[in-house]
Amino acid sequence: MNINRLLQQREIAIALSIAVVCIVASIAWPSVFPTFGNLSQLFLNISIETIVACGMMILLISGAFDLSVGSVVALSGGIAAYLLYNHGMYPLPAILAGVGAAALIGLINGYLVAYVGINPMIQTLAMMGIVRGAAMMISGSGIQNLHADFTVLGQSRFLGFQSPVWIMMAVVLVLHVLMSKHVLFRQYYYIGSNEQAAILSGIRVKRLKMHSFVLISLLAGIAGVLLAARMGAALGTSGRGMELRVITAAILGGASLLGGTGKVFGALLGTIFMGLVSNVLIIARVSGYWQDIVLGIILIVAVWLDLALKKQSVKSLKKVVGKR
Amino acid sequence: MGTTTGNRCRIGVWTLFWCMVLCGACDPNRIGNKQFNRHVEASTVDSDYTFDTEEYILISTAINFPMYVNHDQAAFLRWGKARNVKTTILGPSDWDVAAQIAVIEQVIAAKPAGLLINGTDPGLAMAINKAVDAGIPTVVYDSDIPGSRRHAFLGTDWREIGRLQAEAMAKLIEGKGKVAYLGILGMTNMEEGYLGMKAVFDSYPDIEFVGRYDDKASVEEAARITSDLLRAHPDLAGICGFDAMSGPGIGLAIREAGQEGKVKVTTVDWEPEHLRLLKDGVVQHLVGQKRELFTWYGAQFLFDMAHGVNALSANDRKAGIVSIPYIVNTGLLEINASNIGQFLPGQ
Repeated sequence: MNINRLLQQREIAIALSIAVVCIVASIAWPSVFPTFGNLSQLFLNISIETIVACGMMILLISGAFDLSVGSVVALSGGIAAYLLYNHGMYPLPAILAGVGAAALIGLINGYLVAYVGINPMIQTLAMMGIVRGAAMMISGSGIQNLHADFTVLGQSRFLGFQSPVWIMMAVVLVLHVLMSKHVLFRQYYYIGSNEQAAILSGIRVKRLKMHSFVLISLLAGIAGVLLAARMGAALGTSGRGMELRVITAAILGGASLLGGTGKVFGALLGTIFMGLVSNVLIIARVSGYWQDIVLGIILIVAVWLDLALKKQSVKSLKKVVGKR
Repeated sequence: MGTTTGNRCRIGVWTLFWCMVLCGACDPNRIGNKQFNRHVEASTVDSDYTFDTEEYILISTAINFPMYVNHDQAAFLRWGKARNVKTTILGPSDWDVAAQIAVIEQVIAAKPAGLLINGTDPGLAMAINKAVDAGIPTVVYDSDIPGSRRHAFLGTDWREIGRLQAEAMAKLIEGKGKVAYLGILGMTNMEEGYLGMKAVFDSYPDIEFVGRYDDKASVEEAARITSDLLRAHPDLAGICGFDAMSGPGIGLAIREAGQEGKVKVTTVDWEPEHLRLLKDGVVQHLVGQKRELFTWYGAQFLFDMAHGVNALSANDRKAGIVSIPYIVNTGLLEINASNIGQFLPGQ
């Protein structure tokens, strides 16, 4: 496999970029950057978004996306906190209620997109507003003083990493294996590559599409409960803007808006890269004004390089076919 | 095949573009969403005088924002009950200035007794001027709108917010050490706050200002920036927060790093989460606005103007006179360990 073909896999390219940034930062700031404390904090900062980004990656592979995830994060945490604080419910049923509500939103999104035929962007954009309003109503000015039995879910530590990091690792691992090995999940690649062909080959496209929306909302629900547990409070404004950040991470990690490409592990790489860039910019004392500019430029360069490499690949293929 | 791929690419690019435009519509700092929320509170209290045919309208953006609901709107509704007038709250549920402008322009035709407008953006000037030209008493609160001909403005001096925070911080860190700023970059009021803060820090040669960071009014983002700052500057002495979410985000990161009390924190607002952080010793000083006064006295000014109270001539309108104050600074409140008990009674 030559270097061009290797770089065409966006996961490899982003992993190399992460390695380069880490090496440069370690040389430039040896006492600050390459420390376990910085690493564990970096992973904690990206953990909750990565859980959602994994779901977004699967959705993008199938050729859709969901803009309501940030609002779902706020709603699920709000419902769990509301039941815990106002009704004295035990943590487990409160968490299940929060995550269950999130899954229900995914079911509605999925049904309306897959079976009714509403455009995913319109459907999830509308749902984003509805769910955000509901989250604001439930959380009010914030539900505080959540019980330690609940906050332990987001605040406990194991081997130096806080619990959301371990949960993120588990989610990435399970979904990566499922998307790589399991026939049912592999079908998302067919749907994203050519939906019509997938239908003709007997894949139950509508049902699978609906499941992908349920899955991402479920993951956003888990992320919302984790965020509330980490903060010890549920805020109606939680998760605001998360939808675009996770889409950006998934695209950096190898997804395409056209569908059919990407790996769950790539979503993790995308969030690591974004977190790393922010981390390094602050260590380098770069003004806050520059952070969004740098991230925007990186996204454009990554997608542009991807397109350039793909074009080169198509040219090479045509040459080979021409010779034969 | 090439054409199909090209078309798909174009569709993808356009989808991303429209996705971002439409998402921006629901982002607190963008425009677009046209969904309005409406709360109507009619008078119910008996009184010798009732003006229940008079309607006073408060128009804001992000009307579900807890701080607006708990402070601005609650005081406005209380004022309506006390005065026996009809009070209506209108505006989009998201931060959507275009929708707020549309609401102002729509209600002008209904000729309400007065308009109380949250000065969220300088772009409101034209709509405010239309209301003034239509003869409707119009008061702006929170941030003034340059270029508008509003009859009165009630608000706070954001430079003062910055100055009070910086003075408290300088005292907390004994005049030396590294400090950072978190807030929304580019917002007029917070830029003023930054200038007020910087002016104080500039007079302390041993205070090093490490930078300004945009937390985008997000707890998660504020926590992420704070944790990165704590790693980048292990000797960081303090952080000043300037938006409602700065304090909770800074507090979360400081707690997780076990730096409570070691890194000093001053921030704006006094919502329950801010008060709890102060009580727990994570935050040391809060500077808050008296938002209730914005809408209570703003509405009272509208009422006085509509009823010609304190008329200064035979006909103030014809004389080109406005008989209410032009600018009112409602002042600020400071909360720290010495007076937190008054804000969290029984805790």
